Formats: sequence, structure tokens, C-alpha cells
Amino acid sequence: MSETATGAKTSGGGGGGGGGGEITPGVKELREIARELLEAGDVRVIIGWEDARRGARPVFVTDPAEADKLIFDARCVHNLVTYLNPRRDHVAELGKIGLVVKGCDVKAVAGLLREAQLGREDVVLIGVRCGGVLEENEMPAAVTLTPDNVAPRCYGCDNREPALVDHLVGEPQPEPPRPAQTIDERIAALEDKPLEERWAFWTEQFSKCVRCYACRQVCPLCVCERCVADKTRPQWIESSPHARGNLSWNITRALHLAGRCVGCGECERFCPVGIPLSLVNRKLQQIVAERYDYTVSDDPEQVAPIGDYRLDDEQEFIK
Amino acid sequence: MSDERFFISESDLRALAADLLATGTEVIAPVAVDACASPAAMASSACMRPGLEPEDLEYRALTDAAELDLARGLPILSLKGYFLPEHEALCRWKQKGIAIEIEAVPTEFAPRVVLAAKPCDSAALAVVDEVMNWDYKDELWNGRRAATTIINLACPVIDESCFCTAVGAAPDAIKGADALLTPVKDGYVLEATTEKGHALVEAHKARLSPAADALTAGADVDRAAARARAAANLEIDAGSVRDWISTHFEDPLLAQLAIRCNGCGACSSVCPTCHCFDIVDEEEGVGRGTRRRCWDSCQASSFTLHASGHNPRDDQHSRYRQRINHKFSIYPLKFGEVLCTGCGRCTRVCHAGQDLVEILQAIDIAARRPDEAEAAAPAADAPSPVAP
Repeated sequence: MSETATGAKTSGGGGGGGGGGEITPGVKELREIARELLEAGDVRVIIGWEDARRGARPVFVTDPAEADKLIFDARCVHNLVTYLNPRRDHVAELGKIGLVVKGCDVKAVAGLLREAQLGREDVVLIGVRCGGVLEENEMPAAVTLTPDNVAPRCYGCDNREPALVDHLVGEPQPEPPRPAQTIDERIAALEDKPLEERWAFWTEQFSKCVRCYACRQVCPLCVCERCVADKTRPQWIESSPHARGNLSWNITRALHLAGRCVGCGECERFCPVGIPLSLVNRKLQQIVAERYDYTVSDDPEQVAPIGDYRLDDEQEFIK
Repeated sequence: MSDERFFISESDLRALAADLLATGTEVIAPVAVDACASPAAMASSACMRPGLEPEDLEYRALTDAAELDLARGLPILSLKGYFLPEHEALCRWKQKGIAIEIEAVPTEFAPRVVLAAKPCDSAALAVVDEVMNWDYKDELWNGRRAATTIINLACPVIDESCFCTAVGAAPDAIKGADALLTPVKDGYVLEATTEKGHALVEAHKARLSPAADALTAGADVDRAAARARAAANLEIDAGSVRDWISTHFEDPLLAQLAIRCNGCGACSSVCPTCHCFDIVDEEEGVGRGTRRRCWDSCQASSFTLHASGHNPRDDQHSRYRQRINHKFSIYPLKFGEVLCTGCGRCTRVCHAGQDLVEILQAIDIAARRPDEAEAAAPAADAPSPVAP
């Protein structure tokens, strides 16, 4: 296992991305564009994916000679838009960013633009045509997508030819397979249960929460300078990971993302204790779609319900 | 003390657990939590995937000896929570006018047993004992430590993120524990090393028999093989790493380690040695409440935020450096022990790809073979900030 200990795979040296990443024409194109952008000084850093010791992971390429580190395959699960988050000052200080994005990821860029957290000229977007990603990225090489390993969120992807990007690379990809159970089916199965069972389900799920706030930290749209959960005067949300505090935190997190969440699922993937946050997020998407006829897209001009008021908005809940 | 080694069959080991439970002793052990048997089943995608283990492994208080899981890897969370709970009351208060009544919490605990603990998890308790008994003696920690007898289960080594032997632990270590079980054919070799361990052996002698030499020899071979597997993942000189870190605070390798890091703190939650906590007063109605301590993480910006608004560790690089510095330099310089037992949970839990094996390797190279350092630094893709 000598390669596990050498760090050789991250030493770069213009290596070809280790053993796992297939160098498709799309990946070649991606590397070429990255190299040109860096050489021309159009960007200072390209944020994409690389092949590392434990699988695919984010990489920050600043030297054009290292553009060949970049890969793209079904292990490239991460929504890298989180690195554009204005809270990431240690990334921002690298200089102008060129970001590699999948169609789903780019919706989060649109979210940041819509909420004035980012200027369109602040970032160069390199889109990759994507045929779906795996649920887990930590494997030495990408495997063929099947109903059992595909990320459920990929089902019914509606942004396979992203419009917001500056470059779009790769061949058109087949549609992602239908997962063994879709997120909507899981929600429906849950909703079929009586209230007490649903309550027991969520109580059990939230009881696992250790309040590490990984869900918040990795979310590309959790942009608050100071999160309500960190406020102590007054303390809106109890910081103890007991039932009260955990319920309060998880409900607040979900509601603050209603109509904003792009469904990238990073919160769920990063949760160290496995809380199925996608179910919460997706349910809120369904409610927002139903009540406000709004589906989050990669069009930054689209007005989001949270930033909009219409006289005919339903407001029967205001008593 | 005798270094006698015993044989115990698997059924006797379960019976021993049952005996303990029958006397009302709490027994904490790895338990496979069947996600599909709980209400979570309907939502767990794992349950829908044929051939995949639908079960997580957790340390839990046994309700039945049959639950004891002796076959699987590392529980999601370490044993830490049984000694430093995620949250616990330090005292309760009542206030009426100017009169304040403080209700203390108990600091003595009923005897309990941890069975089949991972050696990296018990070792972590011994390491953290140092800080819990430094200037302030932490009564709650010490009370739980004193009440607990820990029986380790020698580990076959889990995966490529394990590196216990690089930081002074071992897959067959008894550090922090009272006895060790080593799997052999049809059962286990049991050896006790502390008074508590011997007391447990004495109390359950009927279930033990002297271990034949051939058995113990086989157990020793397996233990050595497991140590070699862990060592193949990472070999460093912890002393050189400690000294290099203490003299290279501003070195780019340390100062720019965290480019991918999301600052989520999941690493410190799952870490068996991370022990920092926050103390909060929670009102529970008018004039009464509870003072609690909760796990905290140096990876959160609020961890060092001063009341003035100044934050001495105001970016993720400096927070991540603190994590490395505390574990591999500050703590060893103060207490003589590395604040890490190589369990690898931080690496496994980090989906952003912060990899402690790789980072320690790079620091070790910088410390011992600086001429190779430039080629191997994980920070190679995280260069100095450039002026726009």
C-alpha cells in the first residue's frame, strides 16, 4: 500500500490524475480550457476534481502545468459552488476563480447571483455534460451507474445542457438511471404513515445530530456571515444536541433554504451521522412548487419566492 | 499481577455479557444498528440496495447479549461520548429574588463494562486522561473512567485510513483498557492487565479456561500481522513531526493545509481524542435552568471569536493548522502523548478529501527529508495567495 502513504497522487507534477480517471475527450477539453484560462491570466485558480488516494476530491489548480490533474467522471459528486460562498475567504484570497460545474451545481451559482452574493464577472464557469453521479465518490475508479449506485437526486435531471456556463465540455451523456427508489417515492412512503410514525421517524433521525453543522458549512447557499444558530444574545436555537436543540436547528436550517435549496444533497452526504436531509429539502421544494409555482433553475433572473411578494400570494396562514 | 492468558469461547463471551446484564451492570459494546428495522427504513436508501449492508455499527448499551457484534469494523462514533457525552448537565439552578439554589449533578457512577472496544478508542481515553487531570480534575470524566472496565477486542485493521501504529497506538493495544480479547479459532484469548481487568476475570472465571500455548502463539502471530498492516499505511517519526510543527508555524505546508476544508467540524465530532467543549446556560422556564457542556470544535469560527469581535483564527487555514498543531505538537509537548490514535475516522468522514494520512506523511517528509518535501507537499495545489 505504498501509494497510500506517499502523497504522490497530490504532488502533482502535471501527472495524469492517477489511475482512476478516464481521459475522455471531454476531460481533455476541460484540461485545455483550464490551461488556457490560467495561462491568459483570466483566472487565478481552477477549482475542479482530481483523483486522490481515496477517490475523487476537489482540487485547486493554479499552475497551468498542472491542469492535467483535472478529471471528470461519475465520482465527481461534490458541488464545488460551495467554494464560491462568500464565507470562504481562504479560497477567495487565491484570486479570480474558474469553476468546473455540473448542470445541477450551476443552479447554486444562479442562487448566489440572484441573492447578490456574487457578480457574474467574478467567476468563469466551465460546465461539464454529466450523465449522473454516484452516491459515493470514495472509490479508486468510477463504475457504471446502476439503479443501486446512482445518486437518487440525478433522476429526472432538468439541467443537462446548462445555459449559465462560459464553456461547456464533453459529449452529450445518456440519462442517469432511475434509482431503486426515487426521493419523491421515499417522501410518499413516509407520508403514507400516520403522524405518530412520522414523528417517531424524524425524532429518531434528529436525535442522531451532533450539531457539527457540517450541513451548513458545506451548503453553497448557507451564506450568512453569522448563522442564527451561533447567536447567543438572545440564543434563538439551543446549542445543546438534545432533542429540543436538534429539532430547532434542523427545522430552522430547512426553512431558511425553502425556495433556495438546489437539491445538490451535499448536506446529507457530509452529515457524519446520516440524517436523510434530502427528504426535508425535497419536501420543501415540493411545497414551494405547489404554492408559488416555483422550481429552482440556473436562470439568475428568475425571481425566487423568498425575494418576491405578490398580492395574489396565498396567505391563509396569516391569522 | 499475573499475565495469565485465558480462552473463552464466543458463546461464553456472550454468556459473560448476559451475566453482567443480569446483575444490572450496564454493558456497552458494538451493536449493528439495523437501519431497516427502525422507522428510518422507509427512507433509508441503503435499505433499497441489494447486497449492501443496511447496518451501521455503533457503541450502544446492550439490552441483550445477542446484540453484541464481534465481527465488524469501526463504530461510526468513538467511545468518547460515554465519557464526555455530546451534552451533559453540569448543574441546575433555581433563582427566587436574590436567592440562588444550585443543584449539583452526581459525579459517581454505577460500575459498567465496555466489551469489544476498539484499541484506538480505549487508547484515546488514556490520552485524554492527561488533560482532564491537569490543572482541573474533571470529576465527571474521572467518575465515568473509574466506574468503567474496558475490554478491548484486537483489531484486524479496517482500511487504508487506519494508522494507529504511526502514533504510538496499535491494533492490539491495551492502553486505556483493562483487558484484551484476541480472536482465535472458536473463541478468544483473554488477558487482563489492570486491577479492574483482573477483577472481571476473577468474577467470571467459570467461563474461562487456561489458553493452550498453541492458541496464544497463533493469537500473537495474528496480532503482529495486524500491526504490520497498520504500519504499511503510514510510518512517521512522531517526535520529528512534533518538533517540526512547533518551529514551522508559518510554513506554507501548515499555513495552507485547508484549501478544500469546509470547516464543518465533522472530523472533531467523530474523533476519539477531540475533547473541547462549550459551556452554555439554558433557561428552562422562569428562574430555573441547566448549565450544560456540549462538544465544541476548533474548526468553527465561533470557537475563538472574542467578545470584542476579534477572531485570532479567522480563516479555515489557521483553524485547520490549529487542529494539526494541537494534536501532533502542542499536546505531545505538554503531556508527552500524541492527541491522536490513528483511527482514521476524520479522513473517512471528510467528503471534501482532507486526508490526515497524507498530511502527516507530508509533515514527516518535511521534518526528516526536507529535500523531498517540495515534491510531496499536499499543499502543492494550494499556493500562496496571489495579488489580483
